[in-house]
Amino acid sequence: MEARSSIEAARAPGGRLDPSRPLVASSPRWGERLIQLSLALCAVISVATTTAIVISLLVPSIGFFGEVSFGDFFSTDDWAPLTADPSFGVLRPVIGTLSVTLWSLMFAIPVGLCSAIYLSEYASPRVRKLVKPILEVLAGVPTVAFGVFAVTFLSPEIGKLFPEFIKTPPFAAGIAGLAVGLLIVPIIASISDDAMKAVPGGLREGAYALGATKLKVATRVVFPAAISGVVASIVLAGSRAVGETMVVLLAAGKTPNLTLDPGASVQTMTAFIGTTATGDVAVGTIAYDTIFAVGALLFVMTFALNIFAIRLVRRFREVYE
Amino acid sequence: MLDKVADRAGKAAGGASGRAKAPGIDVSGVREAGQADRRGSMSKSDRGTIFELRDLTVKYGGTPAVKDVSMEIAAGEITALIGPSGCGKSTLIRCFNRMNDLIPSARVEGSCLYHGQDLYGPEVDPVEVRKRIGMVFQKPNPFPKSIKDNIAFGPKVLGLDDIEGRVERALHGAALWDEVKDRLDENAYSMSGGQQQRLCIARCIAVDPEVILMDEPCSALDPISTGKIEDLMMELKENYSIVIVTHNMQQAARVSDRTAFLIVELDAEERDRWGQLIEYDVTDKIFTNPADSRTEDYVTGKVG
Repeated sequence: MEARSSIEAARAPGGRLDPSRPLVASSPRWGERLIQLSLALCAVISVATTTAIVISLLVPSIGFFGEVSFGDFFSTDDWAPLTADPSFGVLRPVIGTLSVTLWSLMFAIPVGLCSAIYLSEYASPRVRKLVKPILEVLAGVPTVAFGVFAVTFLSPEIGKLFPEFIKTPPFAAGIAGLAVGLLIVPIIASISDDAMKAVPGGLREGAYALGATKLKVATRVVFPAAISGVVASIVLAGSRAVGETMVVLLAAGKTPNLTLDPGASVQTMTAFIGTTATGDVAVGTIAYDTIFAVGALLFVMTFALNIFAIRLVRRFREVYE
Repeated sequence: MLDKVADRAGKAAGGASGRAKAPGIDVSGVREAGQADRRGSMSKSDRGTIFELRDLTVKYGGTPAVKDVSMEIAAGEITALIGPSGCGKSTLIRCFNRMNDLIPSARVEGSCLYHGQDLYGPEVDPVEVRKRIGMVFQKPNPFPKSIKDNIAFGPKVLGLDDIEGRVERALHGAALWDEVKDRLDENAYSMSGGQQQRLCIARCIAVDPEVILMDEPCSALDPISTGKIEDLMMELKENYSIVIVTHNMQQAARVSDRTAFLIVELDAEERDRWGQLIEYDVTDKIFTNPADSRTEDYVTGKVG
């Protein structure tokens, strides 16, 4: 307010600023500085959160590794951290996580990529405009709904089709994997579709002009040209599957079997954290610290996957700019 | 030469009247003029006719982009389409290999005969059309693959044999072999713009089409690269028929045997605009003694 009036005062009747007036700011512009500062603070929040999470995981983890050696943690498969005579070989929950992730990707990669090719290359603009938002809404369905769906629908129905398949009904890594797969199909389909849409039309025209069919253009030109975006979508989806908790908590069971068998019940790293953290483990015990050690490992795994995916996305953006 | 052309054109019924009507007339008159030129050119080519357009109109979403074009394109020659921006020359060239099919709103009316078969007939498969009629585009569009794989793509997709041999012959054919023979496995994007465009020409001839369509192939290139492509076109003429769209009148004059001149026509209310074929003749005549004053104004640089 004050700034405005001082500018007006400096104006000659014709409206032009007096040229002899010094070229310094007419006011310190505190408001602008305040806004700039608060914008920066908002940006800092997410960085600070990440740091806080790392610290909160790291401190108890250090306590944990003071009592349990790295060797015991990473290279043995005796996993019974909550018992009177505990053992801490993390291999079983890691394999459980890998099993669910593997089966979810087995489902989501083909379905997601075929959807992406359809949306990007075949669907009319009208269909694409309709289908893509629906697909993305699927990614917003609460994961607990997917978990319930897996236990109450997928598991019994698949049990009817293949009676011997599920060892301990209704829990199985494959069932949880299928539900997680449904959850991550939109990630793969949407990002891959964007990547394929970003392939310049000139490449398609060049291929068509050689007498290539639509399928050949889509699979031999557009898909390979978008490959880094496609791989990034798969890595992001994989990282989502690794971190998924609610579905596996409900559908994968609690038995830490050391197997990739889709019909067997497994305990994933996330499911272990979820059950134990909500259970009656006393704070400060070694069993309690196990939660943080497993959490730290999970964080490192998904962090590495995300960094990898971000690099790929960046590379694929550079190619055509 | 010009006299002979005029003489033969005169034998065709509409020739003289078409020319008399040509300057500053309505749409139907122009159509007649076009037909007259078509008949005229029919008798001139010595290797036959590849394309025959009859009242070809292309519409995008109901609005015509180019209207009532009738012309014949001779085999074994270079035919240039010139005219100001928006005159529909790119739209027209994309009719010859059904590239307009890729634009959902495009509709083609009239007929475009290729060796007597209508390219827009109900049984015609655009993929079959494009195997015979290749295209080089305004912006070089190599695939993000190696130089070799770019050329091998067409033969592989069409299931042709002797891929290696085809790659080498195509690169020789596009005068690119000596420049790239030691780096066939490098990415095509490592080449210069002019090389990329010659790679696209090599990619096109690797599937051995009969016709090569070129849509402003040099507009993104410097004069030296342009010169190389023009030299290449003169060589390719031996084995291929070429249709080229160009903004560069000197280029049309240098390389083409025949030139078609199109303009942008406005309707009475100046609301709709579309491309119209004004004059089509041997290139020398178009540039030295055009029949239509609008052609003369354009090629001498008075307008446009």
